[in-house]
Order: sequence, then C-alpha cells, then structure tokens
Amino acid sequence: MLNLLWWVCVVIAGIMAQRQVPGVDFLAAGFVLALQEERWTKSLWFALAAILIQEGDGSLAFGSGLIWYGALAAMYFFGHYLFEAKNFLFMIILGACQGAMHILLSLMMASLQDWSVAPERLWLEAIVQAVVFPMEWGLLYIIYHNLPLSHARTV
Amino acid sequence: MLVLFLYLGLYTWNMRTGYLDTVADVTGLEVSRWVLAPGKWAADSAELLFRRYIYFIGLRQENERLASDLEKTRSELVDATEKAALAGRLSDLMSFAPPEGWVREGARVVSHRLGPNAALETIMIDKGTRAGLKVNLPVVLPFGVVGKTLRVSQNAAVILLVNDLNSRIPVMGQIHRTQGILAGQGPDDPMEVQYVPQGSPLDEGELLITSGLGEVFPKGLPVARVVKVEPTGPTLFQNVLAAPLSDIKTAEEVLVLKKPPLPPEEPQVEEEKEVRPQLEGKGKRLRPPVFDNKIDQAKPKPGPGPGGD
Repeated sequence: MLNLLWWVCVVIAGIMAQRQVPGVDFLAAGFVLALQEERWTKSLWFALAAILIQEGDGSLAFGSGLIWYGALAAMYFFGHYLFEAKNFLFMIILGACQGAMHILLSLMMASLQDWSVAPERLWLEAIVQAVVFPMEWGLLYIIYHNLPLSHARTV
Repeated sequence: MLVLFLYLGLYTWNMRTGYLDTVADVTGLEVSRWVLAPGKWAADSAELLFRRYIYFIGLRQENERLASDLEKTRSELVDATEKAALAGRLSDLMSFAPPEGWVREGARVVSHRLGPNAALETIMIDKGTRAGLKVNLPVVLPFGVVGKTLRVSQNAAVILLVNDLNSRIPVMGQIHRTQGILAGQGPDDPMEVQYVPQGSPLDEGELLITSGLGEVFPKGLPVARVVKVEPTGPTLFQNVLAAPLSDIKTAEEVLVLKKPPLPPEEPQVEEEKEVRPQLEGKGKRLRPPVFDNKIDQAKPKPGPGPGGD
C-alpha cells in the first residue's frame, strides 16, 4: 500500500512539475526508477499511466508517448549491459539521449501530422530535459531508498 | 497613684506648653515620614512593577492576538484583492456579447503546455464535453480571439493558440475589409497576414477581425492589430505583420463559444398514434423520426485540420 502511495505521489509530483516546466517529461525518471526495481508489472503499470498522461496532455497524435517510453526502456536495457544500472553517469547519458530524442521525436511526429514546431524551443526543452532527468532521478532515488518502504519493496 | 499623678501632671503641663507635642512632631513624625516615604516608594514601585509585569503578560498576549489578527487581516486582504481582480476579469468576460447564434461557456485556464508531447502552443482549460465542448470551437477573451479547441476530454480541453505556427484564421481589416489569412509565427514573433494582394488597402494599426469564411470562427471577432504593411517587390502579396491584442499567456479565464443546443422538437406522439393504426392497417412500417442534429454530431466529420479555420 505504501509502495502504491509512493508511485502515485511520484506521478502527481511529476504532473505538477510538468506544469511549471513546459515541454519536459518529469515522469521518465520515475519510470527508470521503476525499471531499476526489476519488478516488471510495476514498471508496466507506471509506463501505462505515464503514456496515457503524456498522450492526453500533449498536442501530438497518439503514438509519441509510446515511442518515447519504449525508446527509454530500450535505452535502459541496452545501457545496463554496459553500465551499472544505478550509476549516476548512466543517468546523465540517458538524460542526454532523452534530450536528443525529444527533438527528433517532436519533429518527426509533427511532420507526420503536417504540423510545424519551432526548433529553437525544442533545443531549449531538450537541454532542460537532459539536465533535469539525472537530477530528478537522483532525488527520487535518494527519497525512495530512505523511505520506510523496504518491507513493501520486498513484498 | 504616684504614676497617675506624674502622668496627669505631665499631661496638663503639655496641654499648657505643647512642648511634648512639638518633640513628638519633630522626632516621631519625622522618623515615620522618613521611614514611610521610602517604604511607600518601595511599595509603590513593587506594586507598579507587579502591575507592569501583569500588564506585560497581558501585553504579550494582546500582542500575539494582534499579530494573529494582522496576519489574518493580511490574508483576507490578499484574498479580497484576488477576488476583486477575479471579479474584474469575470466582469470583463461577461461583458463580451457572443455573436448571434452562439453562446459562451466560461472556463478556467488550468495549465499551459504540459509534457514532452505538447509540441504546439496550447493551454488547457477545465471544461470539456460535459459542458458541451467539442473540437474546433472558438475560444475568446473580451479583447479578442485566443484560439480554438484542439482536443477535448470529458472535463478538460486543449486550446490551440492563435500565435502557434499551425494556426490559420481567415481575417479581414475592420476598416478596409481587406481579407487574408492570419498565421501564427510562434509565441515570441508577430503573426503574419498571408495572401493580402498587392494594392489592397490595409493600414498599420487597423484591427483585424474574423471574416467568418471558415467553419470555426464566427464573423466579426477581433483577433489582432496590424503592425506592419509593406510591399514585397515582385510577389503577388504584401508583407503584413500583426500583433495579438493582448498577452494571451496571461489569460486565467477564457470563454468558449458554442452553438446552443437545439430546442426539443414538438412531440409527435399524438400524431403518430393517429397515423399508426392507419399505416399498420395497410401493413406498412412507420419510420422513426429523424433528428438531424444528433446524426450530425454522431458522424465523424473530416475536420479542416489542426490549424486551419
């Protein structure tokens, strides 16, 4: 129950943060944290919630969120063969990859719908995404591993 | 007897001379005065100190109460100021008269762009299909058009702003009636009025209003003001730039214009009852009444695209 409450709080805090910083994903760090727990049902539920939230809030057609989180999961699984999964350096690389992916994915999905997107803004958002992701992951990691959830994590 | 005699003698002598009274005044009275005066001062001081202490206790409590009252008053003042500002904004909103055939639906702005998929210039409002909203409805403020509904859920809607790169609104000059397409160029850039033929009159400062040529915006809503008009050499069209009438991003409440629901049709039950026996008698089936508006709503219409009117 505590564990569920924690993940609900992560989602709510992520949405509130996204309201303050437009164009940046604050749920991705939670998703990676869930992946690191290696409890796949938890990761899937979190991914499902995040995809629905991002798709619903966004202005692009459905599909961007799927690719976004799918690519993030793929990068995580690929990267954790090369790096320690909970290494901060790995998170910095993941953040940089997300920044690049934000530009590519937004331009690609917008062009598929015959829309135009201001590239300057995408660059700025990509940089913010790359910086915010490892910091947010670090914060969530510290909080999560200092909360009395050890029992809940083992259940 | 001797003592009594001495006492009476002394008494009568003192009554005659008053020496003893004088001695008593000079000594006893003075001693008492010098003893009592500082004592009284000390007592008064002690009493004053005590009273002040009690007073200070009360003062401290009173100070705390006043500080609490002040904090409460400040909070109420902020609340009242906020309410006054809200009342002003709502009053402005309510002063907007919707065009004929349209009704207004007030909504609060919940958020601006949200999440990595919010690639377009949008805002989110707290009204959706439950309030009768659907895609491609005009969203306005008292000073002019804000945008149109892009995505709608039950209790929320995403509004595409007029300054987005994908926004296209058919407009015309309020004075010269020159027509064009108002295209957004991004939040920090002026909008462009496209397809204004060379030689068509359009003044700087002229108000641009919706021409009503599309299916989204009714005619006559102010949208922007012309800030620059210049010929572009060999091309067929002028280079016209326009600025929005106010900072759209500061909007906290907006109005969504929607068509009012059609009045319910007259019940035809009695008529049917009269007709049915005749038709049934002839072995014919009676067609159910057709409600055109409901069928139109149920049918997925091919929209004009995300930005176009």
